[in-house]
Amino acid sequence: MKLARLILGGILIAAIAAGVTGWILASQNAYSHLMGAGYDSTSTMLPLGDVAGQSASTPPADVANPASSDPNAVAEGHKLFISMNCAGCHGYDAKGGMGPDLTDTYWRYGGTPTQIYQSIASGRPKGMPSWGKKLPARSIWQLTAYIQSLGGSFPANAYQAAVQGDLADKGQNKGASDQQ
Amino acid sequence: MRSLFGAVGLAFAWASSAIAQAPPPAPSAHTSYSGASATFDGAGKRGEWTSQARDYANTRYSPLNQINAGNVATLKIAWTFSDGTQYGHEGAPLVVGDTMYLVTPYPNIAYALDLTKPSPSIKWSFQPNPSPTAIGKACCDAVLRGWAYADGKLIYNLLDAHTVAVDAQTGKELWRAKMDDVDKGVTMTMSAFAADGKVFVGNSGGEMGVNGWLAALDIGTGKELWRAHAVGPDKDVLIGQGFNPFYPWMKGKDLGVTTWPADMWHTGAGSSWGFISYDPEQKLVFYGTSNPGPRVPAQRPGDNLWTSAMFARDPATGQAKWAYQFTPHDQWDYDGINEAVLLDMPIDGKMQKTLVHFDRNTYAYTIDRTNGEVLVAKNFAYQNWSTGFDMKTGRPIVDPALEPKPGVKLDRVCPPDIGQKDWEPPAFSPNTGLLYVGVFNICMGLTDHEVSYIPGTPYDGMEMQRFSVDGKDGNWGGFIAWDPAHGKKVWEIPEKFMVMSGAIATAGDLVFYGTTDGWFRAADAWTGKILWSQKLGSGVIGQPITYTGPDGRQYVAVATGVGGAAMVQKSRAGFPPRGNTLYVFSLNGDAIQAPESPSSGSTAPATATPQ
Amino acid sequence: MKRAVAGLFSLLMLSNCARAPLGYLDGAGPAARSIASLGWGLLGISVAVCLITGALLVFSIFRRRSQTDGLGGGDDRSALRWIGVGLSITTVLLLASAVWTLWTVRGLSDTSRAAAVTIDVTGQQWWWEVRYRSDTPSREFSTANDLVIPAGVPVQLNLRSRDVVHSFWVPKLAGKMDMIPGQTNRIRIEADRPGIYRGQCSEFCGMQHAQMAFFVIALAPADFQTWWNHQLEPARSDPDAAAQQTFMEHCAACHAIRGLSAGGILGPNLSHFGSRRTIAAGILPNDSRNIALWLRDSQGVKPGSKMPELHLAANEVDTLTAYLEGLK
Repeated sequence: MKLARLILGGILIAAIAAGVTGWILASQNAYSHLMGAGYDSTSTMLPLGDVAGQSASTPPADVANPASSDPNAVAEGHKLFISMNCAGCHGYDAKGGMGPDLTDTYWRYGGTPTQIYQSIASGRPKGMPSWGKKLPARSIWQLTAYIQSLGGSFPANAYQAAVQGDLADKGQNKGASDQQ
Repeated sequence: MRSLFGAVGLAFAWASSAIAQAPPPAPSAHTSYSGASATFDGAGKRGEWTSQARDYANTRYSPLNQINAGNVATLKIAWTFSDGTQYGHEGAPLVVGDTMYLVTPYPNIAYALDLTKPSPSIKWSFQPNPSPTAIGKACCDAVLRGWAYADGKLIYNLLDAHTVAVDAQTGKELWRAKMDDVDKGVTMTMSAFAADGKVFVGNSGGEMGVNGWLAALDIGTGKELWRAHAVGPDKDVLIGQGFNPFYPWMKGKDLGVTTWPADMWHTGAGSSWGFISYDPEQKLVFYGTSNPGPRVPAQRPGDNLWTSAMFARDPATGQAKWAYQFTPHDQWDYDGINEAVLLDMPIDGKMQKTLVHFDRNTYAYTIDRTNGEVLVAKNFAYQNWSTGFDMKTGRPIVDPALEPKPGVKLDRVCPPDIGQKDWEPPAFSPNTGLLYVGVFNICMGLTDHEVSYIPGTPYDGMEMQRFSVDGKDGNWGGFIAWDPAHGKKVWEIPEKFMVMSGAIATAGDLVFYGTTDGWFRAADAWTGKILWSQKLGSGVIGQPITYTGPDGRQYVAVATGVGGAAMVQKSRAGFPPRGNTLYVFSLNGDAIQAPESPSSGSTAPATATPQ
Repeated sequence: MKRAVAGLFSLLMLSNCARAPLGYLDGAGPAARSIASLGWGLLGISVAVCLITGALLVFSIFRRRSQTDGLGGGDDRSALRWIGVGLSITTVLLLASAVWTLWTVRGLSDTSRAAAVTIDVTGQQWWWEVRYRSDTPSREFSTANDLVIPAGVPVQLNLRSRDVVHSFWVPKLAGKMDMIPGQTNRIRIEADRPGIYRGQCSEFCGMQHAQMAFFVIALAPADFQTWWNHQLEPARSDPDAAAQQTFMEHCAACHAIRGLSAGGILGPNLSHFGSRRTIAAGILPNDSRNIALWLRDSQGVKPGSKMPELHLAANEVDTLTAYLEGLK
């Protein structure tokens, strides 16, 4: 039964080799997915100040949400929306209450990703708290991703149009049935 | 012989017991249902309306009867005034002498209107410029629930937690006191209350994890005389030797600390955002405290004193004389801030000094106002969170199935967080002996979420959907007449929308109220028959008043401008838009006309003649 | 010779295992000891059964066939007798094992002795929230990861979970009990003597399941009361205002400290953090170097954990480290 022994021995060696290889591969790459997609840098230049009266700004303001490539961003953003008490002011359905409706196309301070990010990070005059120090940039982008998923926000390249106030021209500022 | 005596005695006993238990004779049009009476101390002259509740006892009763059940059908708009603001209009205009004073919701602009001229005629206006941060911290719209007139000054709270006093003649600011920190989520929306030479103010923010308090300020300077908290150790709550609550479970040391988990009383709320009453004879002020914070009861086991409660305090020192907690360990946001109407009435044949309080938890309480004993506690509307009231312990009996647990949805809790009666105040008529009040008829689906305390953000956690009691978008409100001595509803007017306006009662046997979809109505105080209705430009959540103008005519005035908690109805068909118009009505719409007005015949103000 | 060595080796291994922090063979509480003895007993029975069966099998394989055997089998009655013997021995042993097991398990949930303290333990990815219950609400408080109990008395634990299924296991004190979201499981633990006993999450719960440990610290009852009273005291009385400000700005949205207006419940309660043994659910000893490491690079230490990369400036890290260390 030499052949049988050969076959059995070969299978055994192959199994051991596969296990070792897998272990090596796993320990190398296991956590690389978790380190973040590199969008937690604070080097993104964002314009300060309010939307009204902005002159044309440089391209970085057109930046898309870096979390859009992260499939978990919307779910994580939703969890943060509840745990950071956003739901307390904006409603658990985000349709407003103490704070404005986040599902419609009307934005006091702009509805492009960077404008939403800025609203969350620096706070706004009518009582929106500032989260820039409390939450890392990655979390704020996740929140922005969640808000974008609600359907009322504008694409990043609409930033200039939003600042110049001509969104109606492009048919993007659909009237809401209740703007209070 | 003996058996005959026995039989007679038995018959006598049976007859007397039958008489004692017989229902009270049906009141004729002139017999008071409850036998209740009030002193009208603190009211101005007959034709004036000098404070939100008209008098210290909070009766909102006017002795005027030029407009009465016989002629109210001819009521028409006399003049209107738009104040240019956007939020809910909850306060009552004041009429002192020939001037009407009113203050807008945020940005809290004050107006003085000269009633001797064709109205509206602005005498002065005052812009305090409160901080806009407050808008995002106010749970229930950027409202102002009233203002006070005292000592030649108009005194009122700003949304950003300041109190300001304005010279009533000139409109110049006399003093401004910073009362708390709006960045921490504290706002002020309640009506300042002037009595006993002081002005009393309290904070809002029961949903923001604030530390609730009531303070007394000197009318002349705005200097703070005392501040009584609703949570914390006895020295903060101003509970001392003279404190004597009626029920044993409210006796003890530092209950405002020991009935909370470690250190949670700091964010326990208990804010004082309702109306205040004053008994000048006993020298006590009465007011209620808000729900406990957070609004998730699982995070704060314990009775959570002194939230959802009422205090009776000495106005000079703030020391508490007694207290009573309406909803121990409140689990549904049943604030205790609703007003106390001070009435004297016979209970079980004995004349008692009482106060009547319609609580958010849907019990109408008649309480002995000398010691805090509950004499009557009956439901004035539909509720399902409580299976009864234990008169011995003075505590409601909670149905365990309606206690919320985080993450678990309760399909139908009645009433919802805003109660079946929110802050909208009742009116009392000494003629009928009844109280008249607007109510709701709603329930909620509730899911609690555990919450973090992050200063300046809500400490809330209640996810709710509200719907009418029958679940089919039925009637969301009503207006009821209540007998406080017997704890009975005498009549009810069902309404499609919530009734969140104040009520007034007049000597003309009329009661006035408004609905959140914009109807303003006059009803017969005895029967509840609607005698006059008018649809106004926006919903009514304000408090009506009635006064005599310089022309001798009786006017009824109410502000429109829906907002506040009524916005829970905003997706219902027929819900009105926002507004900001004050409507003033008179018989036939008669008012002082301008000389050059082509529609008037005479230039002199006509003396009013009842029709 | 070989057998002796093997036997000695396994004995040594077992004794080492017993002394190791998660060694359940050396129970330090009545529950653990009863489980350990049940384990030994069942092992003994199993080994005996294996040996007997093995011996019988070997015997039947190597038994010489008797000459008289034809095509048919042997003596049917004798075979049946063997089966009968086997069945009866098996039945007796299994019944005995079943009864012993049930008796032990019943003993684990014995509530005849009143629990000295009730503690709510809530597992979440990947740390433990510990909340002490009391009849006096103001004595209730929360802490994290260190479960301090009085020694010599039973302690009732109410086990819950905020996200996925975890499992609570302190090998030296008790068996495993799952923590299932939406449900409360109860377990009693008791430590015979004061000491420190390590626990571990024993239900796979995600990325950092392996680094979700905790310590049970059993104190003499008097010391336990002292510890409890100390926990109720607010943060230290001479706070460095700048450090508090830094904490409030960066940490308070997720962490709470009694005595400050920091009320975050997303992360562990950090009251009296300075007196805890470990950081990050038992994986780093609590000293200034490790605190700074955790603040600077939480994802490097525990990748995937909910503590984010904070990108703090170096001086902020130092300020916070000193502040947290001082919260004794």
